Amino acid sequence: MKHTIEVNGLRKVFDQNAAIKDVSFFVKPGEIFGLLGPSGSGKTTTIKILTGELGQTAGDVSVLDVNSHLFGTADFRSRIGILSDNSSLYERLTVYDNLKLFCQLYDAPLEQIDVMLDEVNLKEARSKVVSKLSKGMKQRVLLAKALIHKPELVFLDEPTSALDPGNAAHIHRGLQKLNEAGTTIFITTHDMEEATALCDRVAFLDKGEVQELGSPDTLRYKYSTHAFHVETFEDERLVIENESGNADKIRELIANGEVKSIQSDNPTLGQIFLKITGKELV
Amino acid sequence: MNTQRIGAIFEKDLKDFMKNMMLLMMPIIPIVLALIYSRLGGDEGLPIPMLYLIVGVTFSSVTASCMMTMMAEENEKKTLRGLMLSPASFLDIIIGKSLVVGLMSLVALAISLFLVGIEPFLNVQATIGLILLFLFFLFLGIGIGLFTKSIASTSAYLMPVMFLFGFTPMIDFLVLGEDNIAITIADLFPVMQLIKMHDTNSWTSIGIVAIWAIGAALFTYICFKKSRTDD
Repeated sequence: MKHTIEVNGLRKVFDQNAAIKDVSFFVKPGEIFGLLGPSGSGKTTTIKILTGELGQTAGDVSVLDVNSHLFGTADFRSRIGILSDNSSLYERLTVYDNLKLFCQLYDAPLEQIDVMLDEVNLKEARSKVVSKLSKGMKQRVLLAKALIHKPELVFLDEPTSALDPGNAAHIHRGLQKLNEAGTTIFITTHDMEEATALCDRVAFLDKGEVQELGSPDTLRYKYSTHAFHVETFEDERLVIENESGNADKIRELIANGEVKSIQSDNPTLGQIFLKITGKELV
Repeated sequence: MNTQRIGAIFEKDLKDFMKNMMLLMMPIIPIVLALIYSRLGGDEGLPIPMLYLIVGVTFSSVTASCMMTMMAEENEKKTLRGLMLSPASFLDIIIGKSLVVGLMSLVALAISLFLVGIEPFLNVQATIGLILLFLFFLFLGIGIGLFTKSIASTSAYLMPVMFLFGFTPMIDFLVLGEDNIAITIADLFPVMQLIKMHDTNSWTSIGIVAIWAIGAALFTYICFKKSRTDD
């Protein structure tokens, strides 16, 4: 398998409005791929097409070497895990009973329940009824549900949107561990810090089209002015271009003990997105 | 079809059913009705149309109503999508979800018929008729539950289903005359066909009920396919 996900010329039209105009990208095996964009940019539509919850109007989509018309098969479904806005839990049942159902549906051993509860930091909530859990706890159970059968590929739509920073960091560590074990992760998020910390490559989606694609480091370098931002002890802020002629100037500032801090210009993914699309990622 | 997946859905539904007071009360309706009617029959027992009224109420208020509510709740709370996106097939989900309601319907029907007189149903033809009637109400319940998408809106469909298909024998009390168009149409309804079957011993009535059941199954299949995606 060359690519875990391959999308070519994807188009999706709802009532004569094109939610996705012409999207092409691929995801390599073992990669964490982030699809970033503001609300209404087509992220959820894309993830739904990739999981078989929506059909495409045009274009070719292949996931795990399976063509989109076979996304309804049991074999394909057992190879992927999904956490999306359509994911939900049985409110009257306990956390354990919810996870047990999905263990049995996916032919996973029941021991996985405790392993996953540990991964999402919810061991103490094992016997709690789901309706009594907070939004963040429910989100973590949904994540455990999506991963319980150790899928080859996981689709995560805003996985940490309802979580506090501590639990989000815990989930990030879990996802990195999962990825190190070979699972490919396809993630959509608004959170640029999350994307920077987790993703090997990201695609910026806006107006139904991919506006930019690459690794966070590559994009930050590409959109950097490469200048140095120097702050002196006299609270002076200097922007010095990265040119050979400026080397003496920087050396002199350091030699004179004037430099309080020195940083290279490294735009955040959010700043890059703003630069490309003119929009904030909210 | 996968028995482990069917068993898992059944186990989940049974736990959920036992914690849902609204659904738990449903099987009591036909039993209470049967208890009241059992006092009316005297030594000769109840006439066949009255027995089928009990059967119709059982299948409409327990089978169709519970199934409708359970499917609409799964649809409304988006848990059904989780089942559909799992490796479970259409049959795994439908059979798994029908077992609890089937069990409750069987218990309610057995108790009700025991109270009003089970003898007329103790033959192959009547048993096949009851099974087909059960399947008709089951598929109707699943289909409407998938179609409505919320528990609140099921009540708008439940009453017509109960009155049209459950209480059909009551049309005789309206004294409309045999040539009346309403009587002619109602005579084709499943419960009326089964009453006719007892008079004529004809298998044609069974065939007509089977057509109703197949129609309801097709309706369920179409609604299921539509629920599977957001298209």
